[in-house]
Amino acid sequence: MNELSLSAITLATGFGLLLIGMWGMLVRKHIIRIIIGFSLIDTGIHMIMVSLGYTRGGTAPIIDAAVERATAVNTVVDPIPSALVLTAIVIGLGITAVMLAYAVQIHTHKKTLSIDDCTDGKW
Amino acid sequence: MTLDWPLQIGYFLLNLTIVGLYGMLLSGIVARTLAKVQGRIGIPVYQPFIDLFKNLGKRTAVSHGAMFYLGPVFRLAGGIGTLAFVPVLFGSEMFSNFNMAGDLLLAMYFMFFGQLGMAIGAGESGHPFSAIGIARGLGQMTAYEVPFALAIIAIVVQYDTLSINDIVAAQQGGVTHWTLFTNPLAVAAAMLAFLGMTGYSPFDVMMAPNEIPIGPPTEYHSSYLAMMTMNRAVFAGAKLILFMDLFFGGATNLIELVIKTWAIYMVAVVVGAAFPRYRVDQSIRFFLRYPTLIGVAAIAYTQAVLLP
Amino acid sequence: MVDALINPLNLVIVGLGIGFLLPLVDGRSPAIRRGLFHLTLAYQALLPLLWLMWLADGAAAQEIQTAGFGPPFSINLRLGLEEALFVAGVNLAALLGGWYLGDLLRDRAAAMSAFLILAMGIDGMIMTRDLFNLFIFIEITAIATYGLLGLERSAAALTAGFKYIIATSLASTFFLLGVMLFYYLTGTLNIDGMREQVGLVQGPIGMVAMALLVAGVVIELKPYPANGWGLDVYESVPPGIAAMVSVGVSAGALFALYKVLPLTAPYLPAMAAIAGATFLVSNIIGLKQKKARRLLGYSSIGQVSLVALALLLLTRLDQTAAIPLVVGGLFVNHLVAKAGLFWLAGALSRENIADWHGLRARPLLLVLFGLLLAALAGLPPFPGFWAKWELVMQLSAGGMSAWVALILIGSLVEAVYLFRWFGHAMQPADETASTPAMPQLLPVVFAVLGLFGSGHIAARSFGPDTLATLLPVYVAIALMLVDGLPGRLKAMLTLAIVAIYSVFIAPELAGLHRLFGILLLGGGLLIAAASLYRDDSRHGYYPLLTLLLLSFGGLLQAETSLQFFVAWEFITLSSYMLLCMGRGAAPFTLSYLIFSLGSAFLLLAGFGLAYAHSGSAALADLVRVQQGSGWVLGLLAVGFLTKAGALGLHVWLPGAYAEADDDFSAMLSAVLGKATIFGLFIAVMQLGVKGGAATAVMYVVGWVGLLTAFFGALMAIFQEDIKRMLAYSSMGQVGYMIAALATGTHMGWVAAGYLTVNHLLFKGLLFLVAAGVILRVGQREMYRMGGLIQNMPFSFFAMLIAIIALSGVPPLTGFGGKWLLINALLEKGWYWQAGLAFFASAVAFLYLFRMIHTVFLGQRKRAHKDLREAPLPLLIPQGVLVLVILVFSVQPNWLVGPLAEIMAGHAPQTLVVNGTLVQSGLGYWDGFMIINVVGAVFMVPLLMLLVLSRFMHVQKVKQFNIVFAAERPESPETTHYAYDFYRFYERALGFLIVPRATAFWNGVTEWSHSLGGGLRTFYTGNGQTYALYVLLYLVALYLAVGGST
Repeated sequence: MNELSLSAITLATGFGLLLIGMWGMLVRKHIIRIIIGFSLIDTGIHMIMVSLGYTRGGTAPIIDAAVERATAVNTVVDPIPSALVLTAIVIGLGITAVMLAYAVQIHTHKKTLSIDDCTDGKW
Repeated sequence: MTLDWPLQIGYFLLNLTIVGLYGMLLSGIVARTLAKVQGRIGIPVYQPFIDLFKNLGKRTAVSHGAMFYLGPVFRLAGGIGTLAFVPVLFGSEMFSNFNMAGDLLLAMYFMFFGQLGMAIGAGESGHPFSAIGIARGLGQMTAYEVPFALAIIAIVVQYDTLSINDIVAAQQGGVTHWTLFTNPLAVAAAMLAFLGMTGYSPFDVMMAPNEIPIGPPTEYHSSYLAMMTMNRAVFAGAKLILFMDLFFGGATNLIELVIKTWAIYMVAVVVGAAFPRYRVDQSIRFFLRYPTLIGVAAIAYTQAVLLP
Repeated sequence: MVDALINPLNLVIVGLGIGFLLPLVDGRSPAIRRGLFHLTLAYQALLPLLWLMWLADGAAAQEIQTAGFGPPFSINLRLGLEEALFVAGVNLAALLGGWYLGDLLRDRAAAMSAFLILAMGIDGMIMTRDLFNLFIFIEITAIATYGLLGLERSAAALTAGFKYIIATSLASTFFLLGVMLFYYLTGTLNIDGMREQVGLVQGPIGMVAMALLVAGVVIELKPYPANGWGLDVYESVPPGIAAMVSVGVSAGALFALYKVLPLTAPYLPAMAAIAGATFLVSNIIGLKQKKARRLLGYSSIGQVSLVALALLLLTRLDQTAAIPLVVGGLFVNHLVAKAGLFWLAGALSRENIADWHGLRARPLLLVLFGLLLAALAGLPPFPGFWAKWELVMQLSAGGMSAWVALILIGSLVEAVYLFRWFGHAMQPADETASTPAMPQLLPVVFAVLGLFGSGHIAARSFGPDTLATLLPVYVAIALMLVDGLPGRLKAMLTLAIVAIYSVFIAPELAGLHRLFGILLLGGGLLIAAASLYRDDSRHGYYPLLTLLLLSFGGLLQAETSLQFFVAWEFITLSSYMLLCMGRGAAPFTLSYLIFSLGSAFLLLAGFGLAYAHSGSAALADLVRVQQGSGWVLGLLAVGFLTKAGALGLHVWLPGAYAEADDDFSAMLSAVLGKATIFGLFIAVMQLGVKGGAATAVMYVVGWVGLLTAFFGALMAIFQEDIKRMLAYSSMGQVGYMIAALATGTHMGWVAAGYLTVNHLLFKGLLFLVAAGVILRVGQREMYRMGGLIQNMPFSFFAMLIAIIALSGVPPLTGFGGKWLLINALLEKGWYWQAGLAFFASAVAFLYLFRMIHTVFLGQRKRAHKDLREAPLPLLIPQGVLVLVILVFSVQPNWLVGPLAEIMAGHAPQTLVVNGTLVQSGLGYWDGFMIINVVGAVFMVPLLMLLVLSRFMHVQKVKQFNIVFAAERPESPETTHYAYDFYRFYERALGFLIVPRATAFWNGVTEWSHSLGGGLRTFYTGNGQTYALYVLLYLVALYLAVGGST
């Protein structure tokens, strides 16, 4: 019982990444670092998602000889979170790409990547 | 109510004549009295009649326009009308005038009729002093109207009627029933207002009779002036009668009327002889201070003491 | 085939498909690409519109399944009535917005596909029933938005876009995490499935899950103060894009909220608090805003919060039946009006609202702008009005009066900055700016048409009688179309329409309604006839005048409080617009509108409370309000007093009355003011005699009335401007009516009725005389006039009659009013008040004399020697008014008698009309006899003088032939005693008229602006700060709700 389960490790790592990412987004001034922060958050979330669907000692959710049809619900890993994570990764990638594109454009226009110099609109 | 109109009109003309003559005489008496107070010989008491006839006899007149021409007509009509709406003697059909047309409020508001008409007529003359005098007079009027109105309200509350006849009736049966003794605060407020109404010193700045000609009469002369003199007599008489009716028990015969109204008038004369003139803003503040407070107290007194 | 075409899933499929197809046709043929783009948008708009019609006709909601499985195994979507409404709205906005953006998107295929995908994403957000799918659509929408935000590569737009990305991506992260936790707890992603298992979402994890979900959605709605990123976007990106973000993306977010709501019930109060605070705060901050597009941003956030707030509160009250009208109405209103304004702002491309002047020269733009603002401000006939009405009724009935107050205050603040903007637009232009091309304006035109259409549909839900109250608007629109006709012809047309209408409705009116029918419509016609004296075209004047006069009819015919309120708002709106046409009116129009709207909102609150207490919306059922009648009466009374210009609330009045067009001033004072008295009559007659708190309200109102009478008169005497003097005089006279009404006795009401009639007569007369004099002299300061009696004798006579009637001197009509008033006050036992009434009416003499003397008497200026009498169209109405005054002076019982009958039955009667004699419990008065006696008495000195004149040589002399203290007067200017006429009075009592009320309201203005300035310091402009706010919102939400349970 004392050994850490895989899902607990994933969950903890996920939250850890989430917090690091938050820190990065809120504290670092460099826009690229902020984007990295976002990526970390994203990844953290994906890990949390996967760990939520994990069943301890479960097997792959494929109904075949290894799995009894009647007890499948209790023995297989929930497949949906894994499927969702795929979608989420794609979306996260898209957003990261857009952010990077903005970073490039901001640099072209303002010759800086410090978030503190990007306070054009205010009141 | 059916009225015997010819008879009523006849009665009224009689009243008008009596009050008019009495008013003229009164102004002579006052002038004479004031002269004595100041150590002069003064005019004979019939001097106002001489002046009146002299003015009526003038053969030329200047007019500044239709309203100017009508100004004195309005003025005199205002005086006569006020008299028409006030009963002269209590309990006498002959001396009740057209009191049945309206109550105390009618008399109060009709007093303005002549003043307004006069003001407009004098305004057409184009003389700045006329307008200045009228402005001051109106300003002062708004101020003394306040204690007067409060006093009126107090006695209307006291007697629970707006009818002048009923107010007089309520004061019959002895001197102690007069408003003067039943509601002295109201009478005090009203008498202070009366000082302003008569236009004697200290409240005579709108006429400034002693030095420069100012006020409505500035441009009026000859017959116009005669009519204004007549009005002074009739209007003063009407006001005195109104005060007598409201505060001093009214009168049941002409002797009583003469004595009471003379006495009321003398209040203004005595004060006038004793006090110097106020500036108009001073007199406005004066009326809105103690006389108004007395008026307010009169209503409170009436409500708290007389009514329960 | 047809089935395939109308399949709602096409909204997603076609949008996505064409969106990705567009870049492929790149380069080959831009025309085809553009055609495809617009065609797709048109199809996307038409499809939900069709479904909306079918669903509204009772078709079943469409459940769309994918992948051949039913839920929960596959994603499903739904197209019900509410989904169809939102989708149709968004896609129509997208269609018009796509058209509007035509030039910008022209050669950018990627931008076009982003636009299509954006619309598709929003449709998906609205339709999907799967929580994770909702997340997907949120992200699709977001990515498309990000793409569009960067379309214009300015530094401001880019940094704003980046901030937007940071904030919204954080929000969607929360949302995703929340979705996963929900899945973990309920085992399903289907929203309907979750609703059945919502009991499983509990404990700390459940609370966190809810907090994450709520924060994800709420952040999308841009709550204060975590919304600076949204504002930056509204300000800096192209307006066409901003419009889509403001209306489209917000619509999606709103619908997401609608779906998430059943899953997160514990957070509902917190969400309501956030929405309410955001609504109020963003409007207050808007006060400080000078830039047009950012201002629209504040308004946008405010409106979206209001929609959310309405949804939340109605859900809380379990009044789901009202949701379609309220939420739908508010949403459509915001969607169309805000998009229209963004487009208009883009088309005009003027950054600062102060630069919007000169729109007056371009009537179409001005009309569009005004209508859009009116819609945003929640005025009828637009959908927002009906929605707000229903919302207030429901909230009041549900005991949420504090929310009603918040909503109304926020709306009022919003109206302030919106109409201040309109005021700028009304200013004359100093340069000729470019006129936007018609294609750019076309979407705006459609938006306005859409507003009218949707408003009509919303009104229909209140029944045919309410729908009929919109008639005046349609007549006005029709007249607006023939506005090119000559001015006098239009005036005749207006008179004819109103006359026919009056004849038409006359038989339906009885009692009090008939009295006010005669006053409002008869008096209105008479005063309107005076406008014939102007021969210029007066663009827009006559349609609005028709609207005003017909709305009087609506007011009279109103059976429900809603119908009354509709007519009331029309009167407010049309009179405001008419006032705007006055040459010098610009500085005063805003305060007029604000106080009018404030008054209207108080009425709205009062009607809401009445509905809550009586359960009936009928105007005649106000009497059924028992408990709380004091509050209802208080709200209604303060509302009407505001509009009447009672002391303290009068600051708008003098400027408005003085600066309106001269003939319209007469209408404002003499006729329009009577509508207020009518309303007060209705309120007081039913509620004023209830005792309890209502008695206290009446007592206070009585004092306010008399103080108004006194201070109105006192302020009038110091005015140099004739119309300002008349304005203060009107204020004072209305004070008497208020006081008389407040007695709550039969005598008092007769007095109020009498004063009302009389005031219409003499004040109409005075303003028309003033109009004639101003026309001839060309000035309004009285001391510049003088001696005009020689040039304008009839005008003088008319004024003379009017001032005698005003002053209360017998024998004209005024005395009856004073007699009734004083009797009513004395009978009621209001003795001090009666004293004040005496004082006030004495003070009135001062300004009356000053007016007639300075204008008509005294010395005539040399330049005025050849002035002519006022034109006939002004004199004829004056003649009629003089005649009526004289008739009622001879036979006052013709007025008192019917009044006594009208007012009978509501309160015990002490007034007895016996032939020509009128008796009260205290006194008596015989008007017929008085005028006879006075006439006879007048004849005595007149005859005397005439006789004497025969023996005298009466000589008419010249102007300067006066006894002038031995000096020779030099010029009329130095001889005419006119300027600063009552200097001594000012010295004596001037301390009373220090403008305290103005100072107070200025203080309120300044204070609220400072508040706005303070509240907006949260916006640092730094994206990281905004990210922090977003995070803190989540934490605060959880701590406030989840942590405490």
